[in-house]
Amino acid sequence: MTSLQPGRRTRGRRQPLPAPVFALAMVAIAFFALPFVGLLWRAPWGSMLDVLGQQSVRTALWLSLRTSIAATLLAVVFGVPLAWLLARVPFPGRSAVRALCLLSMVLPPVVGGVALFFSFGRRGLFGQYLDQWFGIRLPFTMWGVVVAQTFVSMPFLVITVEAALRQMDRRYEDAARTLGGSRWYVFRRVTVPAVQPALIAGAVLAWARALGEFGATITFAGNFPGTTQTLPLATYLALETDPDEALVISLLMIAVSFAVLIGLRDRWLGGARAASA
Amino acid sequence: MSLDASVVVRLGTFELDVELSVEPGEVLAVLGPNGSGKSTLLRALAGLTPIDSGHVIIDGTVLDDPDTDTFVPPERRPIGVVFQDHLLFAHMSALENVAFGLRARGVGRADARSAASGWLDRVGLGDVASMRPRQLSGGQAQRVALARALAVDPALLLLDEPLAALDVSTRQDVRRSLRRHLSTFDGVRLLVTHDPVDAYALADRIAILEHGRIAQTGTIADVTAHPRSRYVAELVGTNLVRGVVTDGVLVTEAGARVVVAAESGPVFAVIRPQAITLSLGVDPNSSARNVWSGIVGDIDLLGDRARVGVDGPLPVVAEITTASLDELGLRPGDAVHAALKATDITTYPA
Repeated sequence: MTSLQPGRRTRGRRQPLPAPVFALAMVAIAFFALPFVGLLWRAPWGSMLDVLGQQSVRTALWLSLRTSIAATLLAVVFGVPLAWLLARVPFPGRSAVRALCLLSMVLPPVVGGVALFFSFGRRGLFGQYLDQWFGIRLPFTMWGVVVAQTFVSMPFLVITVEAALRQMDRRYEDAARTLGGSRWYVFRRVTVPAVQPALIAGAVLAWARALGEFGATITFAGNFPGTTQTLPLATYLALETDPDEALVISLLMIAVSFAVLIGLRDRWLGGARAASA
Repeated sequence: MSLDASVVVRLGTFELDVELSVEPGEVLAVLGPNGSGKSTLLRALAGLTPIDSGHVIIDGTVLDDPDTDTFVPPERRPIGVVFQDHLLFAHMSALENVAFGLRARGVGRADARSAASGWLDRVGLGDVASMRPRQLSGGQAQRVALARALAVDPALLLLDEPLAALDVSTRQDVRRSLRRHLSTFDGVRLLVTHDPVDAYALADRIAILEHGRIAQTGTIADVTAHPRSRYVAELVGTNLVRGVVTDGVLVTEAGARVVVAAESGPVFAVIRPQAITLSLGVDPNSSARNVWSGIVGDIDLLGDRARVGVDGPLPVVAEITTASLDELGLRPGDAVHAALKATDITTYPA
């Protein structure tokens, strides 16, 4: 209430933060900033290009980019319909199904990897038939990496898109149907564009999660250079053999993540602004 | 082209039960207060809400009839709908919005765009074709919505509160242009609105919808002259009394007695507010056959006129000059006498 007194108001609009809140917020910022400072401090700037040029690093980077993008595409292709189902179709047990589909978001990734191993591994409950009938073997292959990454990253897309579908004004879909749009046409031309900002945000979150995926990948797909050794796996391994390499790969991942977040930021925020106007 | 509809829709405790027919070349306005079921009726005709019983028939084609399990989904009905708030697709240009219906029906991109461009020209918006909906004024958006609905050549055009989203300053212009564009469309036109001014301006015939039922239909002159519900009487700005006449005395449902010049039987009586005089005491020399006392309720000032509510066994609104109001010194809660000549009461059978 003191802020309403004229004497305080003339000092300007800025309200002083309560000191303990300010102090704790500063600690939080430092907590996020200091690891990067440590990383940059120890980085072998002189041999940076040499390390980046190493075949093993380039292979891991290339594998990580391919698998994380594939996982993101799969998450979009299957996750958008799943989000639509959860948001729009009332059916018995819907909240149980939603909980099941979002479980891997809160599960320890290693547990997810173990579950995938016993289900889709070569001796797994379903994996043995994949192998016998179709000759598909997921463990120790690049597709195993993609499956593990999709498993842990799709919930981020689903939860984001589902919220947007629930919030959207469904009368636009009604309008499109009275104009002659079939359900599929309306979904493509009206529903998806209406949730596009959320779709992009969800895809970025899912991609970031896939790029950083470690536990499920190493458990389910293994750690083979060139086929399943992604950047996070390479970093962890390098920390024991060649710490400089670990530092460089870490910086590389930070740079890639940063570049994508910043590159998408304008379009992403621009889209949000357009939708609210 | 004609519409024949008998619509029963149940939504929770609300039931809509109406019969409507619209003749070729006619504009019907369904007028009703909020919650009367107007939007539900429109959604039922459009196929967005299936009816529980009855039928919807356009030009002899059955679109919805639960008895025969007939239901044509909205995308295959020959309809165009102009929605409240226009509902233009924000990620498309005005032109793409108008072309949407043709594209959805499988018309090629180039053909759809050129047809849409023609429609935008017809509503005088050729120069905003490339603009996004958020760049359009309310009146422009309304015309784009109309062009979008008409571009698919519907047999039935439905308009849901077409002017409600506009601010007062543009509403009059848009109403005039909408009237002009509606007159060039030869299909069945039906609009729902809560605004009597829109209904008067745009429609040939009105149907009054109250609590999910049609209370009254007729030409506008007809409905205005012979209101059959309090809602209509209030829209028209007059007093409506319902009761039974016996030997020249009308007894209202609340038990008030009014001397009238009318045949015996159940009647509606319209009492014009201007016909009622107010006084502080009873004038013994008055020729008025009806004098009663009441309590002053709300007072509304309209220029040099004042509308004074008089509460009592026969609640009415009296219209007097503000000069009289000052002279009488009336305030809400004061006791007052109201007088009315029997010949100033219009009655018609209920």
